[in-house]
Amino acid sequence: MRKLFRLLLMLACGLLAACTAAPTPEPPAVARIGYGGSPDTLNPGTAVLTEAYTIFALVYDALYTYNLDGTYSLGLAESVDRSADGLTYTYKIRSGIKFHDGQPLTARDVAFTYNLNKAHAEYPYMNPYTASMESITAPDDTTVVIRLNAVIPNIESQLVFQYVLPAHVWQAHAAGAAAVEFENETLIGSGPFKLLEYKQGEFVRLGANKQHFSRPPKVDEVIFQTIGNPDALVQAVSTGQVDMITELPNAAAEKLGKAPNVKVVSAAPFAPAVSDIIFNQATSASCPSKSACTGNVALQDRQVRVALAHATNKQQLIDVLLLGKGTPGLTLIPNGLGMWFNNSLQDYEYNPAKANKILDDAGYVYNGEIRCAVPDCPYPSPIMNFRMYWPSDSVDAPRMAELLAGMWKEIGVGVQPQAIDPDALTALCCPAFDFDIMLWGWGSDPDPNLLLNVMRTESIATGSSETGYSNARYDALYEQQSVELDLKKRQALVWEMQRQVHEDAVYIIPYYEMQVQAVRTDRFTGWIVDQNKLDLSDVSSLVNITPVK
Amino acid sequence: MHAGQLLLRKAGSALLTIGFVLVLNFFLFRVLPGDPARAGIKDPRMTRAAQAAIHQRFGLDKPVLPCLASLNPLRRGPCLVNPLQTQFFIYVNNLLHGELGISYHTKIPVGQLLRARLWNTAVLLSAGQTLAIVLGVAGGVLAAWQAHTRIDYAALIISLVAWSLPTFWLGLILLFWGSRYAGLPIGGQLTPGLAAAGTWAQFTDAARHLVLPTLTQTIIYLAEYLLIMRSTMLDVLAEDYILTAKAKGLSTFQVLKDHALRNAALPIITIVALNLGFTVAGAVQIEAVFSWPGLGQAIFESVARRDYPVLQGAFLLLAVSVIVANLLADLLYSWLDPRVQAAL
Repeated sequence: MRKLFRLLLMLACGLLAACTAAPTPEPPAVARIGYGGSPDTLNPGTAVLTEAYTIFALVYDALYTYNLDGTYSLGLAESVDRSADGLTYTYKIRSGIKFHDGQPLTARDVAFTYNLNKAHAEYPYMNPYTASMESITAPDDTTVVIRLNAVIPNIESQLVFQYVLPAHVWQAHAAGAAAVEFENETLIGSGPFKLLEYKQGEFVRLGANKQHFSRPPKVDEVIFQTIGNPDALVQAVSTGQVDMITELPNAAAEKLGKAPNVKVVSAAPFAPAVSDIIFNQATSASCPSKSACTGNVALQDRQVRVALAHATNKQQLIDVLLLGKGTPGLTLIPNGLGMWFNNSLQDYEYNPAKANKILDDAGYVYNGEIRCAVPDCPYPSPIMNFRMYWPSDSVDAPRMAELLAGMWKEIGVGVQPQAIDPDALTALCCPAFDFDIMLWGWGSDPDPNLLLNVMRTESIATGSSETGYSNARYDALYEQQSVELDLKKRQALVWEMQRQVHEDAVYIIPYYEMQVQAVRTDRFTGWIVDQNKLDLSDVSSLVNITPVK
Repeated sequence: MHAGQLLLRKAGSALLTIGFVLVLNFFLFRVLPGDPARAGIKDPRMTRAAQAAIHQRFGLDKPVLPCLASLNPLRRGPCLVNPLQTQFFIYVNNLLHGELGISYHTKIPVGQLLRARLWNTAVLLSAGQTLAIVLGVAGGVLAAWQAHTRIDYAALIISLVAWSLPTFWLGLILLFWGSRYAGLPIGGQLTPGLAAAGTWAQFTDAARHLVLPTLTQTIIYLAEYLLIMRSTMLDVLAEDYILTAKAKGLSTFQVLKDHALRNAALPIITIVALNLGFTVAGAVQIEAVFSWPGLGQAIFESVARRDYPVLQGAFLLLAVSVIVANLLADLLYSWLDPRVQAAL
């Protein structure tokens, strides 16, 4: 009996010990992000939407990494060597890197990717990045040689978004229509996160690649959940159903900021964007063949554009449209472009009296209601009653048009506001020039070349120019900066180009809108919010966050 | 007319209507301004070669009709001799082979995309409409039976208020209330990452996601059904045969079920059939508020992106649904009321 009791006691103790010693499994750290859209496709060649590129940046690696401070650092490449003539770049690729399916990533994958992008003109974003590349070869597993057809100053910006694809997966889909039709559902990359699950229009679930060579995530999973309704997005972070939202209406920012455990952050967006008031300046001389070029003649006069700039109260536009979440704009190059943004420019101050005087001095007769569009008002004369168009999907433009109409009325300028379908507006815009004023905007590459190109004379005929602006000096400066390899010298040229277009009042840039995002403070810590630029869904934040203990 | 003949006649006219819709669908979207290759892309780097390649890829480089390169006046082109190489012929030919094309935007076959979206919409619809029909009809019968009492007045007032509510507004209010105080999901169909969980966990999660959109739909449609049912029942209850039924000593339930309801059901069947047909297009507003990946959202997104194949497919589906629902309503009518069949 005593033996039996002892045995039972030992058994009980053993069980107890086993129970107490068993480690409690940690629940996986899953960060949930609410965003308004969804990737259009997982094929990086054909993807168009920002949401797709957000995912690609997490799943793939590139030769360079674009940092939040606007600088580049080497990514898959461990070194780069530029030839004396600036036409050949030789990259050494890190060894030992593997794709998510365990296959090694080599220089051959890099060359394969660039050649794939170069071969397919129907890749709307990737193909232009290879425009300056004459050949891309991989003589061995760690070396990539890129031969350019002309010197370019910004090889980093051309390579940073060309994500390296696994040749062993893509080889069978590289030729012809297959390269476009390939859905790439497995999304095999080498980046800090790997695809676990994807439902188009619903969510993207990513798992951590803890073996990543430079940025292994600290969380186990990140889930991007599509919440198309902005009010629901705000509610989702407020009730803790998601840990971060990538966008929110400015009107909701103040109230959401007061919600418990929620922090609203704002700064210049990581992906720079700019809103613009576009003046049609295409003249009969610069008008491309077959184009309408029906712009009001007054807008071809710099004095009129300067007067309109003086009559535009940018701060009021920011306060009303953005509820203060913006900074007054200067030129098409936004402040989000860091060193390329010329912050030394003195803007046209808001001064309707000065605007009136400029127009009076230039001979634009004012009858108390509206001004003539031609100096000295010969009979018959057109009047300054401008057609003002904007894309019908714009949220802010209708109110902006209304405010501008009120401001410009003070100097005898009228507007006929009209929302137009975005595609129809593109048809009216460029190179048709069948408008007077448009309210629109641009998204930008990290490099200023893209937006500087928009104001070139050469871009008038191609449809890239939306103003018809033509200035030989500006064109010459563009050519210089596009081959200038010295960073400081190029910066000076780019700044001078901005000074030139600002002086010519090619556009009025009402504001640079801030990125506003919200994050739960009780779930994860480590979000990067102290930089000049903000994107909490960027890889910099998502590899850095850890659960709050 | 014989039932079989009636069915054939109705089915024939339904097929004709579908044929007309097929043609209309094709031209409807092409008269819209804009270019699918540029929709959503405002990028100066997008070269003409890239645009041409995208046009070629989707067959947009071909003329719409033999002698009209495009219905868009900005893009008229030369006449073409071979009608087999027109967008219209290719569209009809593909349809006859059961192909709806590839989505310009997601690059997914339209049939596959619509199937998934239709299923999601059907789940949402079946829950909301079933509840609305059952509660609306029962409420309407009760209100009519208790006409001019407090129950009737309450039903009337609640229905009128519910019917007047904008759908999106009601959805938002329920969303705020449900997510904050009842802990219900903010949107979507299933909590992401639950695929590995058990069937029961997935089922309960899906049910929780359904609560708010279903409630929104039920409230909106319930009001409509209740008001129509009440009004028709009031007419029927004033008939002599109801008085006779009561005089025979039948119970209230028997009078309502066997004598009143069947006669009052015809208008409700019409409304339900029409609603079912139209709501297959997705309760667009409900789907938008609750981020429900249904057909309505697909249509909304595709209009913005000039995704012709998806729009053509979705509108075809919508037209077929409305036509089939009407056909069913017609057949149900003649079954419920033999006088209708005789009149036909």
